[in-house]
Amino acid sequence: MRISTGLPIGVTALLFQAASRRKSLEDALVARLAGGGYSEVVLPVLDYAEPYEALLSPASRGELYRFVDRDGEVLALRSDFTPLLARLLAPRLGGLSLPLRLFYRGDVVRWAEERSGRLRESYQVGAELLGEDGEGAEGEVLRLFLDLLASTGVPGPTVIVGFAGALDELLVSASRPSRPEEAAELTAAVARRERSAVRRLGGSAALLEVVDHGVPADPAALGTAGERLARCAAIVADLARAHPEIAMTVDLAEFAQSTLDPRLGASGSSQRSYYDGLVFRGYAGAGGLEIGGGGRYNRLFDQLGVALPAVGFTLGLDGLTSVSAS
Amino acid sequence: MIRLALPKGRIREAALAAFGIAGVEVDKLDPETRALSTRLNGGEVEVLFLKDWDLPLYVERGIADCGVVGSDVLGEVDGDLLVPARLRDGACHFSLIGKGRELPKAGEQIRLATKYPKTARRMLAERSWGAEILELSGSVELAPMLDLADLALDIVQTGRTLAENGLIEVEVLDVIHPCLVVHRAAYQRHRAVLNEWVARLEAAELAL
Repeated sequence: MRISTGLPIGVTALLFQAASRRKSLEDALVARLAGGGYSEVVLPVLDYAEPYEALLSPASRGELYRFVDRDGEVLALRSDFTPLLARLLAPRLGGLSLPLRLFYRGDVVRWAEERSGRLRESYQVGAELLGEDGEGAEGEVLRLFLDLLASTGVPGPTVIVGFAGALDELLVSASRPSRPEEAAELTAAVARRERSAVRRLGGSAALLEVVDHGVPADPAALGTAGERLARCAAIVADLARAHPEIAMTVDLAEFAQSTLDPRLGASGSSQRSYYDGLVFRGYAGAGGLEIGGGGRYNRLFDQLGVALPAVGFTLGLDGLTSVSAS
Repeated sequence: MIRLALPKGRIREAALAAFGIAGVEVDKLDPETRALSTRLNGGEVEVLFLKDWDLPLYVERGIADCGVVGSDVLGEVDGDLLVPARLRDGACHFSLIGKGRELPKAGEQIRLATKYPKTARRMLAERSWGAEILELSGSVELAPMLDLADLALDIVQTGRTLAENGLIEVEVLDVIHPCLVVHRAAYQRHRAVLNEWVARLEAAELAL
């Protein structure tokens, strides 16, 4: 009998040197996290689908693998560490001394179209700082992300930084209250940098500047978010000096769909993130492969009935390993 | 160096004309060459010619920084691509094509032939009638002509093929434009060049 050596779509096995390359990278990252005062948590790969799904965005829910267990329970395969960790920690916070600095590692499984060539099972290392509010905590976590990224020595690292809700006032002012679907369309057009659609949907000159340059010429155009932009730019300038090998940019269009204003709620159906403060995303290699990202996500704990400031990130080891090897 | 992927198919001429105006020395391309890539503008731009349906994947994977692809193809791929410009020239439209003028009645179930199954599913989600989608790879007009399907969903440029084969555009669904698509990270690296290209296309009224 011949036994197939094939694997399902979107999964891969690492053998020999490929396995040792990823393990070395993982060990080095974990050593830095542990050295930085972060403690490891080990999380299950299976969870009940219902509470897990409730914390995911609609887009992420669509990627979730669910199945009925032999005893009839609907279970989900882990697709994101952060909501799982948040749900497990929320009822235990009373007995814990804050802040908590935690890290984790393991596989996440998300459905993706076969054509795109994306992995459905991927390996992540992530870190979370829980219980510290303010931009100091955001700066600490972003610095850690940059330190880890720099330590891998991957070529062409680029980190884009923004903050949730940055464009809300510009998007709301361009939209008719009676047509919430137009606000969602405009938000998506900014995220795609589609100038013609932004103009057609009534986007202002400042919004077109964001599309072209990532930020408006006059930060005051963002309304109350203008001051936040200045502070965000200062954090980025400070960290860019510490890591000249990493190209860093503030780009609000990149995170246009991280909205906070409920009047832009319709756009939430397509957004993937639960971030509500600083948000960042990293790319590396000649092909600009996305290798991780993170941000502040206080509202995830709000959903669990707990007021706990939280900020964190994940790094994708499959991408980092392939970029390092190339 | 920025790597620009241009389509080999239907919208090749519109893309070449647009990038000529944008400042890429496409007039220096040798139409007889079998080279798979060519450096232009003193080596600052590398042009690749790719099949229309392959092009989005090359940009999505960052092999090409940017490219031109029809919005018909873009609607079928699950890529996270930026679309800073849509070109005016090379436009055509999506239509429902059949032998008669009538659309199916509410509740009716038909057979619909197409190369665009996702576009067809999105269209059907807003209809009172349903369809079994028959996915074909080419000559979609043959399907309603030879009764493989009741209707076809396909692109129509001049309508000449339809007229010569006794077919009718039952309903025009959407306008299709060639789109400039860009990889997210490549946009950060090549923002100045890309913005300049788009500005020139807009100034020449070649972009919407």
